[in-house]
Amino acid sequence: MKLIIDAMSGDNAPEAMVAGCVMAAREFGQEYILVGREEALRPLLAREKADGLPIAIQHADDVIDMHDDPATAVRQKKNASMSVALRLLRDGAGDAMISAGNTGALLSGATLVVKRVKGIRRAALPPMLPCKNGHVLLVDAGANTECTPEYLLQFAYMGSFYMEKVMGVARPRVGLVNNGAEDTKGDPLRKETYQLLRQADEAGRIRFVGNVEGSDVPKGACDVAVTDGFTGNVMLKTVEGVASFLVGEIKTMFLTNARTKLAYLLVKPAMGALKKLLSTSEVGGAPFLGISKPVFKAHGSSDARAIRSAVRQAMNFVQADVVGEIERNIEHMTL
Amino acid sequence: MVFEKVCNILSEQFGVDAGALNMDTAFVEDLGADSLDVVELMMSIEEEFDVGEISEEEAAAMKTIGDLVRRIGDDD
Repeated sequence: MKLIIDAMSGDNAPEAMVAGCVMAAREFGQEYILVGREEALRPLLAREKADGLPIAIQHADDVIDMHDDPATAVRQKKNASMSVALRLLRDGAGDAMISAGNTGALLSGATLVVKRVKGIRRAALPPMLPCKNGHVLLVDAGANTECTPEYLLQFAYMGSFYMEKVMGVARPRVGLVNNGAEDTKGDPLRKETYQLLRQADEAGRIRFVGNVEGSDVPKGACDVAVTDGFTGNVMLKTVEGVASFLVGEIKTMFLTNARTKLAYLLVKPAMGALKKLLSTSEVGGAPFLGISKPVFKAHGSSDARAIRSAVRQAMNFVQADVVGEIERNIEHMTL
Repeated sequence: MVFEKVCNILSEQFGVDAGALNMDTAFVEDLGADSLDVVELMMSIEEEFDVGEISEEEAAAMKTIGDLVRRIGDDD
């Protein structure tokens, strides 16, 4: 397997991208193409002592940054590392592409260059959120702010395939994020989507567990939480904010006096486990579901370890053939 | 001929019946196109027809299938 890495992407590029790639090459094997400014990448590979590892460099002298217009960036900056990496993937030079760059530009670029699976109306970006019994896939979390029932139906299928094939969840429970659990709840989008998901469940194609409220999602009520990108993004940011707030409050509480500091020593391992659960670097990346080849978005603030995790995720995604699964089921996913 | 080809591209991209499209069909109002859809459409048109690169300004000015067919007709 060959993985293409947009080495100039993310807040910590190119150092974290190169170090993460080297870490992955040592740990997982496989071949890699680092795409970016050769004069910047070569010394970093030397610093990481990567001689002998199967890592090639593809020069690209431009970079898409956070200020570029997402819809047109890849078209306007043809020599940017992200654009070159996407074309390499499209042309079959690798099996998956990973970037920590501008999310909107990556979605547009993946759609325009690599293209969606035929019949898929919109690609979705589904992050994994920590929840009571592990993780829940939130689909969509921002790529598509305005959705139709058909989009949400497709998100449900794609999310279900991902959780089953990549995360190993047997018959994933699909929930529709709504403002109440009763089946009559919601706006027209939710009500119509509810019926489509129920029909898909009755046909035995997905396992729909009904509406779920925002508070049910962290409690582990479903494995795939289906929502439009606007709502999903607000949910995602709220969960991140609450997690950060709580961890901060707990720290403050433990630092109050000598007695609480002593108590902290006793719970330190548990705090470490909690931090790990809430850490983005543990999951690493999220795929753009619906694109005809695997494109992975790593968190913009990814460090080397997060990039290594994203590589692992991408490898699992390729091996599980999620794209093939979507293609084989597309007739059930279109209206 | 250009009109039919354009309708087929739109039909595939937006999942609509090609027979329901006409020269007055508007990308945004009738097909619900967003900015990414418009760029995607322009790239498909550039691939299908020998029209060179359609600039962002040109794309923004084209509102209907008729506008697009006339732009292709100018070069094709």
